[in-house]
Amino acid sequence: MRSGTDPVRHLYVHVPFCAHKCDYCAFYSAPPSGDQVNRYVDAVVRELELVAPRCRPETIFFGGGTPSLLTLKQWETLLEAMRRLNLLGAREFSVECNPATVSADKAKLLRSAGVTRISMGVQSLDPSLLERLGRIHTREMVFRSLDILRGAGFDGVSIDLMFAIPGQTMDLWQRTLDEALALGTDHLSCYEVIYEEDTPLFEQLAAGEFDVDEDLACAQYDALVDRAGEAGFRQYEVANWARDVRMGAPALPKEQVEELPRFACRHNVAYWRGKDFFGCGPSASEYVDGLRSRNWANTNLYCDQLDKGRRAKEFAEALGPLARAGELAAFGLRMNAGWPFAEFKERTGFDLREEWADDLAMLEKCGWGERLEDRFRLTRLGLRFADSAAERVLRPDAKPENRLVLEPV
Amino acid sequence: MDAAHIRNFSIIAHIDHGKTTLSDRLLQRTGTVADRDMEAQHLDAMDLEKERGITIKAHPVTMYYKAKNGETYELNLIDTPGHVDFAYEVSRSLSACEGALLIVDAAQGVEAQTVANVNLAMKQGLTIIPVINKIDLPHANIPQARQQLEDVLAISADEAVLASAKEGIGIDEILEAIVARVPAPTPSGANSFQALIFDSYFDTYKGVVILVRVTQGELKAGMQVKLLHSGRTVEIKEVGSFNPKPYVRQRLEVGETGYITANIKTPREVKVGDTITDPRNPSTELPGFQEIHPMVFSGIYPINTADFEQLKQSIAKLQLNDSALTFQTESSAALGFGFRCGFLGLLHMEIVQERLRREFDLDIIATYPSVVYKVRKTDGIEVEIDNPAFMPDVTYIDAVFEPIVKAFVICPGENIGDMMSLISEKRGTIRTTETLDIRRVMLVCKIPMNEILIDFHDRIKSITRGYGSMDYEPEGYEESDMVKLDMMVNGEVMDAFSSLVHRSKAEARGRTLAAKLKEVIPRQQFQVAIQAAIGGKFVARETVSAIRKDVTAKCYGGDISRKRKLLEKQKEGKKRMKAIGSVDIPQDAFIEVLKTS
Ligand SMILES: Nc1nc2c(ncn2[C@@H]2O[C@H](COP(=O)(O)OP(=O)(O)O)[C@@H](O)[C@H]2O)c(=O)[nH]1
Ligand code: SF4
Ligand SMILES: [Mg+2]
Repeated sequence: MRSGTDPVRHLYVHVPFCAHKCDYCAFYSAPPSGDQVNRYVDAVVRELELVAPRCRPETIFFGGGTPSLLTLKQWETLLEAMRRLNLLGAREFSVECNPATVSADKAKLLRSAGVTRISMGVQSLDPSLLERLGRIHTREMVFRSLDILRGAGFDGVSIDLMFAIPGQTMDLWQRTLDEALALGTDHLSCYEVIYEEDTPLFEQLAAGEFDVDEDLACAQYDALVDRAGEAGFRQYEVANWARDVRMGAPALPKEQVEELPRFACRHNVAYWRGKDFFGCGPSASEYVDGLRSRNWANTNLYCDQLDKGRRAKEFAEALGPLARAGELAAFGLRMNAGWPFAEFKERTGFDLREEWADDLAMLEKCGWGERLEDRFRLTRLGLRFADSAAERVLRPDAKPENRLVLEPV
Repeated sequence: MDAAHIRNFSIIAHIDHGKTTLSDRLLQRTGTVADRDMEAQHLDAMDLEKERGITIKAHPVTMYYKAKNGETYELNLIDTPGHVDFAYEVSRSLSACEGALLIVDAAQGVEAQTVANVNLAMKQGLTIIPVINKIDLPHANIPQARQQLEDVLAISADEAVLASAKEGIGIDEILEAIVARVPAPTPSGANSFQALIFDSYFDTYKGVVILVRVTQGELKAGMQVKLLHSGRTVEIKEVGSFNPKPYVRQRLEVGETGYITANIKTPREVKVGDTITDPRNPSTELPGFQEIHPMVFSGIYPINTADFEQLKQSIAKLQLNDSALTFQTESSAALGFGFRCGFLGLLHMEIVQERLRREFDLDIIATYPSVVYKVRKTDGIEVEIDNPAFMPDVTYIDAVFEPIVKAFVICPGENIGDMMSLISEKRGTIRTTETLDIRRVMLVCKIPMNEILIDFHDRIKSITRGYGSMDYEPEGYEESDMVKLDMMVNGEVMDAFSSLVHRSKAEARGRTLAAKLKEVIPRQQFQVAIQAAIGGKFVARETVSAIRKDVTAKCYGGDISRKRKLLEKQKEGKKRMKAIGSVDIPQDAFIEVLKTS
């Protein structure tokens, strides 16, 4: 296990601005107003200054919101500060982009600062569904953005897709999927629409404007697993696929195939494997030295706190060892690789085969899980029930009072 | 008071015909309760009674009345519960009387309960004084009420007193009729003092208060008395009467009714129907009563399993003043630990459940009610079954006998067709059909008690748009083709839903229950088969399809804690579900189904 002085290897930065709110979105983001974005950039730089002494990032992820909404100037300020703070040089550095906000000079700047991956929120390639979701980009913008990114030297592009969108027939989904797979990107994240409270989509569902067709969603997921596999992608988590070699290149010899596909997003893997990570920016979560905490989901409040020279934590919680191990068991099993027994023991101090013996047996019995010599993992069927499996393996926290809600000062 | 100047009487009436109002008038007219202390409905003490307009506990009240002949009489009014569920209590109250006022609402005429109660009074050989009440009402139909007295009840209409309890009309005539027509009590002629226990209740300060009627000699404080049946000898601490509040008296003399206390702490020690006499020279035993036999049983379970102890204490408390209520621990795979409770009838059951909810603030769930069956096994031994779960296996059953009631159904003539089909749907047979008046007919029928348990009364009300009434009296047992219907989920019996049903209805009921269960059982990660089985043979099946997958959403750093909390909450929620085999069923689902069936 890590000690309290080891550097933290993973850094997340949240950019809380979007040009327009999508109908399904429950992330903390809002349209930028006035000088707020500049103020935010200054505050984030200040926060990065506070975490930098403990942070030697191997992976960096700028998520949002829409990081690509920041201007060239603002990006320069940010990247310059990161250079000064010795935070650059990560092996993997991802930035989320909205296809409507990608420009050639921004792309070049990011690439030259060491950004290795762009994660593009495509969601669908069907014009009517894009509109249905309240997205601001068009399908043409996706193709154009990809050209721009490639022109700037980005090989590593990931696209996000959504399925089970109201009105999305199997046919529409397969068309988007096939087109997306043919784009030649090396990473794919596919999510089912979730109906989060306080989103327009949720309200519409509640008002009975459409029905959720579970059988269709299931068939769409199955089609996804099949087609992505046929197209050379390897699934490595419930909702994530990556290639081992670029499209068109000869397949890797068997002995070179590793547990994770080569273009898997290591940053996300760090989350599922329970590694420590810093989270900067409004609403960002982090997990460091056994303490999970989250920043205020309020940009002004966030900036106020950093103006005063302190981090803007809204709450913090420390899970007991077993509860934490349960959490790791639950989230690690979302990965196709499952949990190697040795690694789990090393990370948590608990033996998955002992503490979770009943649960593993039950998962095996219903065909959701399988026990290999060195690990336990979910089956293809089991991955569909990753939440139910997680629910089983979670362990209650012995001391729930270890949760602190912090007042802004 | 010498016995010649004592009159013991009851009032019997269909609900709302004016029993309470008339009682209050009598209290007022005899000066027992001062006008200014008169609060409407004096005798109905419990809230629930007031609300439902029914009297559950009988209270005796002693009044003194100076008659036209110049002499003062002691009139003991022994109130009776107003519902046949309490027929047993009615009859034991009646047995402390020589006469009964029979009230008939002049606008409504004779109703089902009137008939049932008159039957009881006649069986006891009481002198009946018919009172046609509410004559002040513009739509009062006195000739018709008279006609019905004669035709339906075989009571001479010439004897009827016309009254308006509300307006105070006819009150003196009623009092005079009591003095003139109700026979004075006659001493039993026993060799020593003797009294009948006709009721008891529990008082926190005095202990058990025993209601007695003295049949020979007298009772005074300080006397040693023996409770013949239970064999106990106790010292009387206090004797008294009610006005309607209890007050202490010097003595209770032969023919009088009142109470005694004797520092008895547990109601169970006092058997209603027992004889009180001299321990040194005991009299013979008075014809007492049979033990009370509950007719309807149902499991009562706390919704929150942690409330078990509290439920137990609450039921025990209710039982202090409701000796007819029985209970014992039982457990159900679905509902956990609870109590098998026995009730006199449906109304009694409802009242107990409602009091537990209301007065004791408990969340409870009651299982499908059952009557008491008699089962003759192949080895010749006969057993009583009040819980379908304990029904012997079919191979050991020689014959099943179910309780039958004689029901009086009164309904508007135009509904007779619907009523007849309802009765036959309920496996009943009509014995007689009688025209009451131009509007109404009375059907006397024989119906299995189990058929009137659930919705018979409601159905009558809805067929007749509220104008129909029904009452019944138990009429023994008959052999019947009863079968045990089990509901199963994925092969496991859900004991809370097991019931004994007539073979002709088992399949339909199985189908209804299965369909209902399908509605309320949430989908699981596997297919759930709901089956209805009769003696191992499946008669209905529904399936709840499996959840095909969870929502395959993203789950990154910021989502982990949120998602964990969500999943933990779900897990917590499932703990509160009942697992039948591997199927998780929310408790609400049980309640839902038990409520509707
Ligand atoms: N008009 C009229 N109403 C009466 C008379 N006697 C009773 N009532 C009303 O009938 C209703 C039922 O009376 P109650 O004494 O509670 O009947 P119980 O159910 O037999 O005890 C009440 O609303 C009384 O006010 C009467 O003589 N005339
Ligand atoms: S772009 Fe992304 S973060 Fe912004 S509103 Fe849409 S879904 Fe939410
Ligand atoms: Mg009343």
